[in-house]
Amino acid sequence: MVNERLADLARDTPETPPGVRLVSGGVLADLGLGLGLGAREMELAALAAGLVPARYLRNMRTYGPAAQARFLRSRVALAGLGGLGGHLLELLARAGVGALAAADGDVFEESNLNRQTLCLADGLGQAKAEAARLRASAVNPAMDCVVRAGFLDQQGFSELVQGADLVLDALGGVAPRLLLRRAAAQAGVPLLTAAVAGTSGYVALVRPGDPSPTDYFGTGADEAKPPAEVLLGTPPPTVALAAALQAAQALAFLSDQGSTEGSGLAGKMLLFDLADMTFATVSL
Amino acid sequence: MALTVKCYATLAEHSPPEGETPHAEGHTVADLLAELRIDPAEVKVIFVNGLHAGLDQPLRDGDRVGLFPAVGGG
Repeated sequence: MVNERLADLARDTPETPPGVRLVSGGVLADLGLGLGLGAREMELAALAAGLVPARYLRNMRTYGPAAQARFLRSRVALAGLGGLGGHLLELLARAGVGALAAADGDVFEESNLNRQTLCLADGLGQAKAEAARLRASAVNPAMDCVVRAGFLDQQGFSELVQGADLVLDALGGVAPRLLLRRAAAQAGVPLLTAAVAGTSGYVALVRPGDPSPTDYFGTGADEAKPPAEVLLGTPPPTVALAAALQAAQALAFLSDQGSTEGSGLAGKMLLFDLADMTFATVSL
Repeated sequence: MALTVKCYATLAEHSPPEGETPHAEGHTVADLLAELRIDPAEVKVIFVNGLHAGLDQPLRDGDRVGLFPAVGGG
C-alpha cells in the first residue's frame, strides 16, 4: 500500500541512475504522518520501493540507492562536537546517515568561531551538544541524533560506542583520544581518527587490533612544550579538510556494508600539509 | 643523491632547504634528526618510503622520510 502510493507520486529525472525515480520529502512527510512513520522509516520504504528521496539526488551517482539505504540503517558514534565534530555532523546528516550518537561536554567560546561550524556569534556559552542536536534536526529529520552533554570517562566512551558500526574521533587534545581508542577496540568497532595542528593533519582508519597514530603520541602529560595545536593553532581549512576526509572515508566504509577491506585508509594514515599541499598515505 | 625529508606541523621549522639533505652512507633516522637539530622525543611517527620506521632505521640514497609530531587539534 505504501509502495503503491509512493509509486504514484514519484517523478523521473535524468540525474538518477536508470530505473530510479525521485520522491519529494514533503510527499514522504505527508504520507508518513498518515501511517505513523517517521522520516527515516519513510525514506527507507521509498528506497525499498525503488524511489529515491529527492534530498539524496546528488548522492546517487556516487553512492547509489543501495548504499543510501545502508547509510540510513547505519549507526555512527561521534566523540567531540567542536571543529572536526561540527563539520562531521553536518556532512553525515546531509549524506543521510540514519543514527548518530554524539557527545561533547564543552560550551562555545569566541576562539571557536574561526572553525567550528556549530559555533555562531550569538551562540557563545551554548552547549555544543545542544547546538549539534538542533542543527541535526534542522538539516535532516531522518537522522536520529542523540547527544550527550558531558566530558566522557572510559565508561562513558564505552557506552557511546556501544552498537555503533563506526566510531568517529573528533576530540580535542591527545589524552581523551586514548580513552576513545580503547573503548572502540574493546567494542570491536572500527575507529576513524583525525587531528590537526596549523596547516598539518592526519586521518586514519583503525580496525580493532590495528595500531592507531594516537598509540605513538602518548598522553602529552610529560611534554615540555605546549601541544602542537596550541603552538600552531587550528585554522579553518585544515579542520574542514580533515573532517571532509573523515566523512568521505566514513561513507565509503558504510556503503561497503561495514567492510574495511575496500576502504582506502584501513591500517593506514593519510598525512597532509596545506602549506605546500603535501598529501601522503603511509602504512602504520 | 640525497634524502627527501618532510617535516610536519611543529617540526616544519627544521625542514632542510628544498626538503632535501645530502645523505651520508650508513646514517640512520636518528643521525638525520641530529643533523636537522630535531629532538627525537618530539618525533612521534617516522615514515621511510611510506612505511612506519624506527630511529635506528638505516637510510639509503633516495629515501623519502616523513616526520610527524603529536597533534591533537580538533
